[in-house]
Amino acid sequence: MAVHPITLEVVRNAFVAFSEEMATALCRSAHNMMIYEVRDFCCGLIDTDGNMISQNAGGLPIFLADLGVAVQDGIDRYGLDGFAPGDVIIMNHGGVCGQHLNNIVIYTPCFHEGELVAFAANRAHWVDVGGSRVGFGSYDSFEIFQEGIQLRSLKVFDKGVRNDAVWQIIHDNLRFPESSLGDLRAQIAACNIAERRLNELYRRYGTETIAACTAEIWKQSEAAARAVVAGIPDGVYEAESCLDNDGVVIDKPLVIKARVTVDGDSMTIDYTGTNPQVRSPLNSGSGGVAAARIAFKCLTLPDAPVNEGGFRPLTVISPEGTILNARPPAAIGLWSIALPTVIDVILKALAPALPHRIPAAHKGDMGGCSFYGYREDDGRRFLLMNIMGGGWGGRPAADGESAAMSICQGDVRNAPIEVQEMNYPFVIECHKLRTDSGGAGQYRGGLGVEIRYRCLQDTIANINFDRTVDAPWGLHGGHDGAVNEAVIHRIDGSEERVLKQTNIHLVAGDRVTFLTGGGGGYGDPKRRDRAELIRDLRTGLVSPEAARAEYGLEDLGSAAE
Amino acid sequence: MHSVGVDIGGTFTDLVGIRDGDIYIEKSSTVIDDPTRGVANCIDGVDVLLSDIDQFQHGTTIAINTVLERKGAVTALVATEGFRDVYAIGRSNRPEAFSLDFARPQPLISRDLSFEVTERVNARGDILIPLDEAATEALGRRLAELNVEAIAVCFLHAYANPAHEERAGEILRAACPGAFVTLSSDIVREYREYERTSTTALNAYVGPRVASYLDRLDTWLTEGQFIGGKQIMRSNGGTMSITQARRQPVTMMESGPVAGMIGAGHLARQLGYDQCIGFDMGGTTAKASMFRNGEPAVHEDYYIGGYASGQPMQIPVVDIIEIGSGGGSMAWCDAHGGLHVGPQSAGADPGPACYGKGGDRPVITDADLVLGRLNAGRFLSGRMQLDRSLSEQAIRNVVAEPLGLGVIDAALGIAKIADTAMSLAVRAVSVARGSDPRDCAMIAFGGAGPLHALSIARDISIPTVVIPLFPGNFSALGMLMAPWRQDLIQTFVAELSLVEEDAAAAVMAELRERGDRLLADEGLDPANASFAYAADLRYVGQEHAIPVPFGDAADLAKGGSPALKAAFDELHRYRYGHAAPEERIQVAKIRLTITVTGDGNAAMDWLSRPFEPADAQPDTVRDVWFEDADRPLSARIVWRPGLPAGTEIAGPAVVEEPNSTTLLLPGDVARVDEHGHLIVSVGVEQEG
Repeated sequence: MAVHPITLEVVRNAFVAFSEEMATALCRSAHNMMIYEVRDFCCGLIDTDGNMISQNAGGLPIFLADLGVAVQDGIDRYGLDGFAPGDVIIMNHGGVCGQHLNNIVIYTPCFHEGELVAFAANRAHWVDVGGSRVGFGSYDSFEIFQEGIQLRSLKVFDKGVRNDAVWQIIHDNLRFPESSLGDLRAQIAACNIAERRLNELYRRYGTETIAACTAEIWKQSEAAARAVVAGIPDGVYEAESCLDNDGVVIDKPLVIKARVTVDGDSMTIDYTGTNPQVRSPLNSGSGGVAAARIAFKCLTLPDAPVNEGGFRPLTVISPEGTILNARPPAAIGLWSIALPTVIDVILKALAPALPHRIPAAHKGDMGGCSFYGYREDDGRRFLLMNIMGGGWGGRPAADGESAAMSICQGDVRNAPIEVQEMNYPFVIECHKLRTDSGGAGQYRGGLGVEIRYRCLQDTIANINFDRTVDAPWGLHGGHDGAVNEAVIHRIDGSEERVLKQTNIHLVAGDRVTFLTGGGGGYGDPKRRDRAELIRDLRTGLVSPEAARAEYGLEDLGSAAE
Repeated sequence: MHSVGVDIGGTFTDLVGIRDGDIYIEKSSTVIDDPTRGVANCIDGVDVLLSDIDQFQHGTTIAINTVLERKGAVTALVATEGFRDVYAIGRSNRPEAFSLDFARPQPLISRDLSFEVTERVNARGDILIPLDEAATEALGRRLAELNVEAIAVCFLHAYANPAHEERAGEILRAACPGAFVTLSSDIVREYREYERTSTTALNAYVGPRVASYLDRLDTWLTEGQFIGGKQIMRSNGGTMSITQARRQPVTMMESGPVAGMIGAGHLARQLGYDQCIGFDMGGTTAKASMFRNGEPAVHEDYYIGGYASGQPMQIPVVDIIEIGSGGGSMAWCDAHGGLHVGPQSAGADPGPACYGKGGDRPVITDADLVLGRLNAGRFLSGRMQLDRSLSEQAIRNVVAEPLGLGVIDAALGIAKIADTAMSLAVRAVSVARGSDPRDCAMIAFGGAGPLHALSIARDISIPTVVIPLFPGNFSALGMLMAPWRQDLIQTFVAELSLVEEDAAAAVMAELRERGDRLLADEGLDPANASFAYAADLRYVGQEHAIPVPFGDAADLAKGGSPALKAAFDELHRYRYGHAAPEERIQVAKIRLTITVTGDGNAAMDWLSRPFEPADAQPDTVRDVWFEDADRPLSARIVWRPGLPAGTEIAGPAVVEEPNSTTLLLPGDVARVDEHGHLIVSVGVEQEG
């Protein structure tokens, strides 16, 4: 059936708006800040074959068209005729979804004139799903059963009637049931809104027209993505890098390998050779697919709405038994930690093929820290969490951005100094750009940041820095950026560098300095525009020593003028 | 009473005057190099003596354009030791999550002009390290040698204790005379160092240029023997004196779009709509705002140049959402067979194809003309003749032929795509702010607003649409209704159950003292002012807080009065869809809003007086296309100024007037109310 181009555009806009409206509804009524502040969620419409019709923008980038597998599991279980109006299905099974169990998928079937036409679905991060420790991602966990309750395609509501047994089991296995069941209600409300909107759209245009529009939208997205891939020279491209360690065995790096094959207008990303799954929760089931999709989207349609069609030219081979596709019952609590590096490795592989598109590596980790304890003044429990930006790689025609969130974190924001000092027993002594942390290059890498905390009382720190060894690489002759580092300066004058570590005890007067990595440089530093280099010197982003040693600037005298 | 409002936009300078209950309007081209001359041209055009005007209200885009064009002063930043990079680091977020080409906000101050001085205050306002005055003075001398034109001073926690900033300001002003010095604590008394630094930098950066413009304007007014009140429009929906505008130019950044919404809010109150959407569609964009009881929301998290890469501004701005469709939005086809409208605009030059200025890309206005919805001969009171054949040609070349459609079909498509995109955006705005469009009225204005409002309303089931008098000039009219207004906000973070009455009373007294000082500076009598306190409340753990009105400090003490808590829960439910009365509440800020309305308001009086129609003009009939390209409907064409109160017009019809056109769809019924506003009862969507 041919679709009228006007109807097509109206339906296209409507699909996107419905997913956005779901996101608004979810944010408005969610109970925990991981949803309404960190935006750790996604919302979308799924067709009856488990394909993504549309997805909201502005959630965490790591959720790219990955709701379909959760819904497909329910379709396999109940059959398409096993759904009825008023059903609500809950799903977080680690073996199927491949993400930490806090990510709870809720979906509802949508009917038009008695016929199942689509599903409204969303995923949101619950603060706690039980397990051995509060929250998620304890390095003490070595199998998924320690990480919380698993719910596989269960109907919490059946034809509008609550399944009290399921509800009770969920309630009794959470540490904060009021908050999480509040989030559950918010997730259902969001699905209901999308159901209503879809219903209006189907009444206006009919099943046949909408199916034809959906197919056409996918076809156009696919064609647009294929056109970009076709512009990449055919070939097999490979790269690798390493994460520091798995957080348990500290001296053994974890290898990440990607082999990217471009054949005409199709691309295959193959992780064969990537590190076998580990005992710590640094594994995931679906991380390989998520990373491949982010890299692919960045390269093809970065600004376009997300739907299934845009990913059709991409095949992902993620061998079972690796950290990116771990076999159950592996622990997967820190499933996303590896992804910034994995994405950078894919981009690095393609760099020779796309020298005019691919930037050098970025800081490569998520940059998180937390401090907790009990306040000495009023005895209350506190938990300070901050996420830091770092440098991005130099680009084919521009310097890398400084102090920016990782490629997996998008619109996540750092915590203001004034908010941290207002609420927690610390004085922050500086927050500044790290001179010389950006890799030297014709286009310089962006700078990392330095932030230093002074403890005003006893506290415990968790530090989650990675990529403290394998530096953000330069490209085409550009130099590496500085690695991530965390340093503890004890009040007795001693100093120690810390990698990933939990339960670090600190006392009043101890200081912790976090130094986030810089981006790699792009192109030979000797070819850097001298005016730009002199500006870097004047603004202090590059030191005179580095200008001489790395950029080969001879005449510092005139440069300083 | 004789009031005049003049609004300088990018293309036109608009004037609205109300003299003894009669309105007059004028438009002239904006003079970029000397905006005062554009204002003078307007005044000359209406043949009015400056000495006869009692009240002169003025809005201008000069401040925001200075930022967008990055043509501000050479500005230096002075920060607390260890923190000069707060401005460059910002919040580190990347809203364009998948773009490898993303650009983070570019500071307005270069890093080599960013300096630190030794000093430190903590969150309670205690001084940890005293200000190094000698170093500050040396820095001031250095800035003078560097010929710095403006200085922004922003120290950590200065919202809690501004003493160091004030002393540094004295020293820097003495050591670097002639520089425009802005202290963060003079502009913002709220925590969040990056946003406060950015706001302070914005003020300093635009300060010298705005000041010289205002001086020039003031001189011109004085030379014209003007002796009335002079007020400058600001982003919070109110006005301020020229003296204050020179000191706080950052508060006039978004005054333009705000004025129309202030007018719409007044009209909503006058007509008794408790939930109302203001919809303003001009040449480049459409804008929407939600009012509750005639009051638009005011927020302190605005970004100049957009959220992704713009400059944050932590001062009160009326909450307006911009939608990328205006009369000049262009229609285009992509390489894969998709038809899109906007967001690029043809602007005023070349403008729509039908202007005949060489534009060959079809825009929404071209589609409206081809569909018979616009009258080629009556556009802008007939001052501009439109050429329908040029519109047809552009639509044929760019849309119809590539897609294999007829020209009328293509034009219908352009209008429909634009209308549904705006419908979805308007619904999103209302839903996100807690209202269902089915419970709202819509007040539509702007040159293109009344032409598209009824389609949008029908699409999302808004039952009533109001087209006010003079919809094409409604923004300038709104400016005349704006009161003098100052929002004073002080960070005050405490869990409600722990607030002590004395502490709250002390903050209120300090705000009142600042307010009284300001009123005295402005020569205003506190007896004519109204003082409204509100506490910004949130549940513990939330970031965003909601202002909740209260009367005195006792309302905040002892866990908060039941009325205060109930009001908060109710507002929270309205805005976020739920409330949690059992959860702990935290105070984030205390604010005092001072407004001075003066004796009556000429514009409000004018809006509510009995309507007297002008001479009637005979109705005509014209073919207008609505749904079916093959079957235009014969629509009644009426001349609005001649319609007496009580007239009813049923769609399909086109209601024409000097600067705007209202399109009524089949099923719509418009009635001219006693004040001359068109109240349209929206027809229902036909099923199928």
